[in-house]
Amino acid sequence: MAEIERDPVTDRETTGHEWNGIKELDTPVPRGVLMFLIVTHIWAIAWWFLVPAWPLGTTYTRGLLGVDQRTTVEAQVAEGQQQRSAWTTKLETEPYDEILADESLMRTVRDTGRQLFGDNCAACHGRDGKGSKNYPDLTDDDWLWGGGPEMIEQTMRVGINTAHPESRIGQMPAFGRDDMLDRDQVRNVAAYVYSLSHSDYSTADNIDRIDAGREVFLTTCAACHGEDGAGNREVGAPNLTDGHWLYGGDLDTIIATVHGGRQGHMPTWEKRLSNADIRTLALYVHDLGTEQP
Amino acid sequence: MIAKLTSSERQNALVLAVIVALAGAAMAILGRSDVLGVHGLIVMIFAGVVIYLIMASFYEPEPTEDREASYYDDPIKAGIVLAMVWAVFGMFMGVWVAAQLAWPDLAFDGAWSSFGRLRPTHTTGVIFGFGGNALIATSFHVVQRTSRARLAGQVSPWFVLLGFNLFCVLAVSGYLLGVTQSKEYAEAEWYADLWLVIVWVTYFILYIATIARRKEPHIYVANWYFMAFILVVAILHIVNNLALPVSWGHAKSYTIWPGVQDAMVQWWYGHNAVAFFLTAGFLGMLYYYLPVRAQRPIFSYRLSILSFWGITFFYMWAGSHHLHYTALPHWVQTLGMTFSVMLLVPSWASAGNALLTLNGAWHRVRDDATLRFMMAAAVFYGLSTFEGSFMAIRPVNALSHYTDWTVGHVHAGALGWVALITFGSLYTLVPVLWKRERMYSAALIEVHFWLAIAGTLIYVFAMWNSGIIQGLMWRTYTEEGALAYSFVDSLVAMYPYYIARAFGGLLFLIGAVVACYNIWMTVRAVPAAAPRATDIPATTVAVPGE
Amino acid sequence: MSDTVHRKLERSAIGFVIAIIAAASVGGIVEIAPLFTIDETVEQAPDMRVYTPLELAGRNIYVREGCYACHSQMIRTLRDEVERYGPFSLAVESQYDRPMLWGSKRTGPDLARIGGKYSDFWHVAHLNNPRDVVPESNMPAYAWLARTPLKTDDLSDHLAAQRALGVPYTDEMIENAARDAYGQATPDTDYAAGVTERYGEATQVSAFDGVTTKVTEMDALVAYLQVLGRLTDAAYRETAAAEEAPASQE
Ligand code: HEC
Ligand code: HEC
Ligand code: HEC
Ligand code: HEM
Ligand code: HEM
Ligand SMILES: [Ca+2]
Ligand SMILES: [Ca+2]
Ligand SMILES: [Cu+2]
Repeated sequence: MAEIERDPVTDRETTGHEWNGIKELDTPVPRGVLMFLIVTHIWAIAWWFLVPAWPLGTTYTRGLLGVDQRTTVEAQVAEGQQQRSAWTTKLETEPYDEILADESLMRTVRDTGRQLFGDNCAACHGRDGKGSKNYPDLTDDDWLWGGGPEMIEQTMRVGINTAHPESRIGQMPAFGRDDMLDRDQVRNVAAYVYSLSHSDYSTADNIDRIDAGREVFLTTCAACHGEDGAGNREVGAPNLTDGHWLYGGDLDTIIATVHGGRQGHMPTWEKRLSNADIRTLALYVHDLGTEQP
Repeated sequence: MIAKLTSSERQNALVLAVIVALAGAAMAILGRSDVLGVHGLIVMIFAGVVIYLIMASFYEPEPTEDREASYYDDPIKAGIVLAMVWAVFGMFMGVWVAAQLAWPDLAFDGAWSSFGRLRPTHTTGVIFGFGGNALIATSFHVVQRTSRARLAGQVSPWFVLLGFNLFCVLAVSGYLLGVTQSKEYAEAEWYADLWLVIVWVTYFILYIATIARRKEPHIYVANWYFMAFILVVAILHIVNNLALPVSWGHAKSYTIWPGVQDAMVQWWYGHNAVAFFLTAGFLGMLYYYLPVRAQRPIFSYRLSILSFWGITFFYMWAGSHHLHYTALPHWVQTLGMTFSVMLLVPSWASAGNALLTLNGAWHRVRDDATLRFMMAAAVFYGLSTFEGSFMAIRPVNALSHYTDWTVGHVHAGALGWVALITFGSLYTLVPVLWKRERMYSAALIEVHFWLAIAGTLIYVFAMWNSGIIQGLMWRTYTEEGALAYSFVDSLVAMYPYYIARAFGGLLFLIGAVVACYNIWMTVRAVPAAAPRATDIPATTVAVPGE
Repeated sequence: MSDTVHRKLERSAIGFVIAIIAAASVGGIVEIAPLFTIDETVEQAPDMRVYTPLELAGRNIYVREGCYACHSQMIRTLRDEVERYGPFSLAVESQYDRPMLWGSKRTGPDLARIGGKYSDFWHVAHLNNPRDVVPESNMPAYAWLARTPLKTDDLSDHLAAQRALGVPYTDEMIENAARDAYGQATPDTDYAAGVTERYGEATQVSAFDGVTTKVTEMDALVAYLQVLGRLTDAAYRETAAAEEAPASQE
């Protein structure tokens, strides 16, 4: 216990207590602090009157402004749609070739498509649209289902190999696993397919295999990939002659493909993206594919 | 460790440790087909070590001196060592997770070492391991000195300290094993939670009983804060962790709170864990070590009252600022926002009270890095509470929430306030406890100070930048009214800041290692001071009244 | 010094304790209790279904791995979030979530509506090593999930515990939990039918990780990711947002 003293530095009195050497001054609460307290309280009370704030049993005070975060955001989203309608109306109503000819609208498509593509498609097709193993390159102007905006829009709406009633179905059967072809046939046809894009592969060593594979190809594969192997966009069968590969063009991968089959899955976007978004992306992707030399 | 216990107390300690070992055995048996079994083994090993320590000196001579004539400092010493061990562990984990965000392959393809499992070992390691041990140790010191009374128990302080560390071990090892409730800052599972309730209630009783023995008529402000810390953390912990285990043999439990109610309970807890663990407790520290070191009286007793009750009352309303614009009803968000802003007044009042206490001691702040730690802590406390109140305003939170800005705010508080005040207090406390004249090296304290300040500033500025860039990129619109950037665009922009942050954190960690060395050398090397005759409990009862 | 109220309080340890409890209790009570009494806090969603055992197991893996540390599952009522991620999240969508996983940090994107956005195949590739499909990613690789068999024998206990807390699992669901978990990941077996029977036609039955011979943790986690945002259509019905629910499964 200490007696009340006067602190020489501040000239204030202490409270007269002491704890292990610690004393306290009896300084009054500075006026600024009290003012600050009052100001923040007034600010708080104003909010309580204006917006939803206090619970009352089974309900709560709604506030004089009558706002709620949900109605507010809905209004903002609607306003955004309104703002965009300046160009989305055109985008949604005009045919694609007219839009493609409209330079300024296409600039908008390229601007907005980048984010839409980045947030929805880039996970599979890459931010630059170049795809990766198992996911097609959308910039090489080599299409499974067609690269016109209408075709792309259709691909996006229904997806590929999805549960959508109109889904595009692109099924590469599992010839080896399902015993449609035997081991040698699989190896031979793979060699033949490999030779289509690697002319230097047709050496004397391989020529027998390739010829045998050719037989198999014409009877088994041509139905989808065409006699020349150039693919068929009706069934999403890729061109096997162009050196662009979805799953890989080395011999082993081709063997794996013929043995086990392939069913790439491209989701449907009909219910996730708005009509305008889908059309924007269709044009954006089309643009990616045709821009390239 | 037990030299100061009588033989019956030694027996009690042994019985307690055996009970814990048996509980561990029960867990190991019931949970044999589950990770619970692993935790049972860990409990048994922990209890086994304690049993060994007790047995090793069980038959040593009993204490002869009058124990009531001295303070009970052994558990405090152990607490300080444990705090520093956890500091290095927790901050190392922080640096590691920070590095993983820049170089994800640093997880080395392990399950236990992936970001999601390491992150809670960092938060638990620093908040509970480092912060908790520092709080237990300093609170034991402060309550004895300011009450002029010895702790009201002989075994119980050890039980609290070691029991708390057992909780931390269970929590942290659990995350590595994949045991977690996912509740932020309360991730430990139900059995660890239950154990902490027992430990914490003991802590509370011990603390109150010591205060009840005080030889001073008035309870000092530091103890107000420590009491609020212990009491409110108990309430928060129990309510937030109510859960139903899948079975007695499962580590896994499901919380009783569903969806939106769980969100509110979690952030009522989470925010007030900040308030009463990371703020109230450390204000208790500040209120003792700062005036002691500055040799100045507290600037204003009345301001202390205003801050204390303001903090205790307002903080409890502010948790919903973690849920702005979510599916939590708008009205709760309004309350959270307004109370967070009102909370700034008592917060700044405490920071101001601390800084004004330094009036007349600024020359010491200049010369003494220990005091400078505490001064800087008060400044960061003021800064982070201002930032917090600002971020609690809904439109500001719209930008900051989910981004690194929050992480920057957290570490302005955690590094700048919590860690700095702790280091300042420990540098003050260590020579007192080990009866040394001073710390081993003042120069190393100086080095530590600048490492800590540089680390904090680099960390916080990196996160302000990345957080604000991130938040802005997410909401930037093009002229055409469409979003301008994809999510991955914003991720790519983060990498330079993630590298900078890891570097800042590394500086801070090095500082903590320097502190460990300095403390170690103080304990070992610096010559003892003459015993201080004044550092003993009062034997006369205080005069009731003033 | 006059004996003010506070001076008296400071002299009583018990009094001080009671005062702290009183001051600290108000905020929590006023903010939490009404969330149970105000009906509109949680919207109505009669079409809401519960998690299947496989999805619940996946959810527990999501918790265990700490995915919530980087991913939110809460689309806020802000224009940019609605336009990027879909309709804002409703309270009812997490009414069976214990604990909730709204998250507090977005190192990665929000996942509240990730269900159906990508293929199972993509998720498996992504979880095995995110940088294989997203070169810019800093998400950890979770390759061991596909190697770890899922523990299914105790799923009945999990469902029973959930029911004890109020999640409407039926006796039949609890009894068949392990079988249903297996069936949901093995479309060509007899067990698959029970899953759609008990949890609805829209439930995705699929060889999530591409392997039909065993059920792994990868199956469970992907099943969970694929159901996020699809337990109910309420968010699409209640809001003015133009999008429709992705109700049917891929
Ligand atoms: C889950 C992965 C995934 C996502 C996300 C994805 N795609 Fe695809 N996409 C595929 C796969 C796989 C194929 C090839 C399907 C096949 O093998 O037949 C494909 C094919 C396509 C094709 C047909 C290419 C052709 O050559 O005809 C187009 C066009 C396309 N995607 C556009 C998009 C757009 C636009 C988006 C975003 C809105 C998108 N994709 C998102 C996986 C994805
Ligand atoms: C029923 C139609 C059909 C038949 C018959 C068929 N394919 Fe295919 N093939 C496809 C489709 C569709 C794809 C694309 C699969 C995808 O994108 O997921 C494809 C893909 C491929 C690929 C992968 C191309 C790449 O870019 O990676 C190869 C190689 C291939 N087929 C070879 C063959 C061979 C060899 C045969 C005969 C043995 C054959 N296909 C028969 C439909 C067929
Ligand atoms: C270190 C932070 C981190 C952790 C932990 C993490 N993720 Fe991710 N996640 C990311 C990032 C960054 C992205 C965006 C880049 C990408 O797609 O990989 C992402 C993307 C995703 C996506 C794709 C989202 C989209 O819309 O494109 C899914 C799904 C996902 N993560 C699931 C998970 C799951 C499940 C876990 C836990 C097992 C997990 N994540 C853990 C950071 C993380
Ligand atoms: C060595 C210094 C430190 C480093 C490098 C560090 C690093 C990190 C990192 C990388 C995260 C995760 C952020 C994210 O998910 O994006 C984190 C989170 C966190 N850290 Fe630290 N940390 C350090 C020290 C501390 C200290 C001393 C404390 C407390 C006393 C602390 C408390 C926290 C908390 C509470 C979080 C969670 C934040 C949130 O969820 O928003 N950290 N830290
Ligand atoms: C007046 C005082 C304070 C207020 C009003 C406040 C407010 C806030 C706000 C608004 C957030 C962001 C919530 C979000 O958007 O997710 C936050 C996060 C956080 N704050 Fe503070 N803060 C204060 C002081 C402090 C102090 C002193 C610390 C000490 C370390 C601290 C630690 C944290 C932590 C750890 C988080 C992260 C929570 C999470 O995991 O998301 N805060 N705070
Ligand atoms: Ca817990
Ligand atoms: Ca957090
Ligand atoms: Cu908070």
